Amino acid sequence: MSQKVIEVINLTKQFKSYKKKPGLKGSLQSFFNRKYSIKKAVHGFNLEINKGEIIGLLGPNGAGKTTLMKMFTGIIVPTSGELTINGHSPWERKKEFKKKIALVMGQKSQLWWDIPAMDSFLLLQKFYELSNQEFKQRLDYMSELLGVVDLLHVHVRKLSLGERMKMELMASLLHNPDVIFLDEPTIGLDLVAQENIRAFILDFHKKNGTTIIITSHYMADVQALCKRLVLIFDGTKAYDGPLEKFENILGNEKTVSFTFSEEIPCCGYLDEFHGEWNEGRTSVDIRVPEENLREVGKKVLDLHPVIEFNTEKMPIERVMKTLMTNPEVLRAQRDHANLPA
Amino acid sequence: MISSLKHYLGVYRYFVTTSVSEALSFRTSFILLVLMDIFFYFSVLFSVDFLFDHMQTIGPWNRYQLLFFICFMLNIDTIHMGVFSSNFWMLGFKIRTGELDFDLLKPTHSIFICFFRYLKPSSLLTAPVAWGLLIYYGSKIGLLWYDWLLIPPLLLLGLSLLCVLEFILCTSMFWLVEGMGINFLRMQMQQMARWPDFIYKYTYQKIFTIGVPLLLIGSGPVHFILDKSNWHYLAGMCLAIVISTLILVKIWNKALRQYDSASS
Repeated sequence: MSQKVIEVINLTKQFKSYKKKPGLKGSLQSFFNRKYSIKKAVHGFNLEINKGEIIGLLGPNGAGKTTLMKMFTGIIVPTSGELTINGHSPWERKKEFKKKIALVMGQKSQLWWDIPAMDSFLLLQKFYELSNQEFKQRLDYMSELLGVVDLLHVHVRKLSLGERMKMELMASLLHNPDVIFLDEPTIGLDLVAQENIRAFILDFHKKNGTTIIITSHYMADVQALCKRLVLIFDGTKAYDGPLEKFENILGNEKTVSFTFSEEIPCCGYLDEFHGEWNEGRTSVDIRVPEENLREVGKKVLDLHPVIEFNTEKMPIERVMKTLMTNPEVLRAQRDHANLPA
Repeated sequence: MISSLKHYLGVYRYFVTTSVSEALSFRTSFILLVLMDIFFYFSVLFSVDFLFDHMQTIGPWNRYQLLFFICFMLNIDTIHMGVFSSNFWMLGFKIRTGELDFDLLKPTHSIFICFFRYLKPSSLLTAPVAWGLLIYYGSKIGLLWYDWLLIPPLLLLGLSLLCVLEFILCTSMFWLVEGMGINFLRMQMQQMARWPDFIYKYTYQKIFTIGVPLLLIGSGPVHFILDKSNWHYLAGMCLAIVISTLILVKIWNKALRQYDSASS
């Protein structure tokens, strides 16, 4: 039986905030008469995660992903509900708990800006009471895998974003945590850096069997790392299940793109699919049911001078885009197909 | 207990190392800070010394007794500036920006990491100047050998009281979010404590000795050094430290429970 690492029951977090009208008048008004409102960032959230799983926590900006991460790590205290991570209540902030978790935030840094990363690592060695041997072994492994051996003694402020992110990962993982929370770890990075980070996370997971919860707006991260997705909308869980099932949440049609060597005249076979043509009618994206993919592909190849064709690489991206512009679709689909939530 | 102490000392050693490493990255700024602290010491001393050109005593103390008191407070200030002051400014910034999040994840007590993390090595470098001045004025008032022995523990006692009171005040930053006002209030508190208790009127003296025991920080130990029958000052300081620590722990836990963290 798989061991549960994270158990969340009916978790809720409310924040108090106020709105201020613009300008001096608004500032004066809000100084004397501040109207607060309560916002439910997360409500009624349930989740179970087993040891060694990699979970993608997805949702639009402001959906409550980071709030969840902060509750999981004990940074903020839930308004109500139950939460256990590795048998601990995070907000008790016990030393044993803190030694077993790590949080990486793509938009915040835990490294000291004005000193080399190595100095921060040495401080972390003391924080986590790592022996010199453990420290050296892990530092060597991670710095070699991430290709930053030569950068350990460079001031953090002199590093590029990608290099800094690699150092952030190292800083968070030096103590070999059981559970890792990655909040947009690849944000703002170029494609090569993103791939390096993903490869590193996978390798670390393979080597240590760590449980990982990752949030990202880059579907390539999710596709490469996660087998299971949890979707959160307006603070509530909207989907929890396998990645493949999520990709087909809007139906089993695939998008196929064709590029032709010459303009394709209007109203032929391809137009039956109501596809999206480019202006010169030399390329088209059509949606084809998965079971007809072979047949349609063969027919288009026979009929037209195709020079390139491909099926979409990341259906998850299309699904996410659709759901973010119209979240109601998910509810309708879920009711219809009896999907897990 | 021993292993915990070892852990904290090990971490603190690296707080010192990293702070020194950071401070020495900016050479000119470092030298300017050292000069500024020395200038501060002498400007305080000269302004008090000048008063005695126009009077014989202030309250019960003569020129050298008061200058000894000023130097006692300067020594508390030096350690306070070197070890704690940067942390008070950083705490407000960290709460506002959410950078406190990472501190809360570290496997040490959050009070330790919030108030001991940053040191200001330039201030510690000027400590010998402050000691020198204290020794000079101590010898002028004819301190005996046991008085000299009493000075280090009494300095620590005064510093502890000042710090606990400031920790309590700074904890309110969790509710106020903006720390600037609190930090200026804190500096005004220090300013009050830099003068002996007897210069304040009766009501103020009682409020700031019993209610908010600021005036005990320097006045308590110096009264005791000058006259051993004033032991009640030290008893009051010890009691104030214990009560203030209990209050600190209580409101600190409350503050952490309501910490919202800035969104990322």
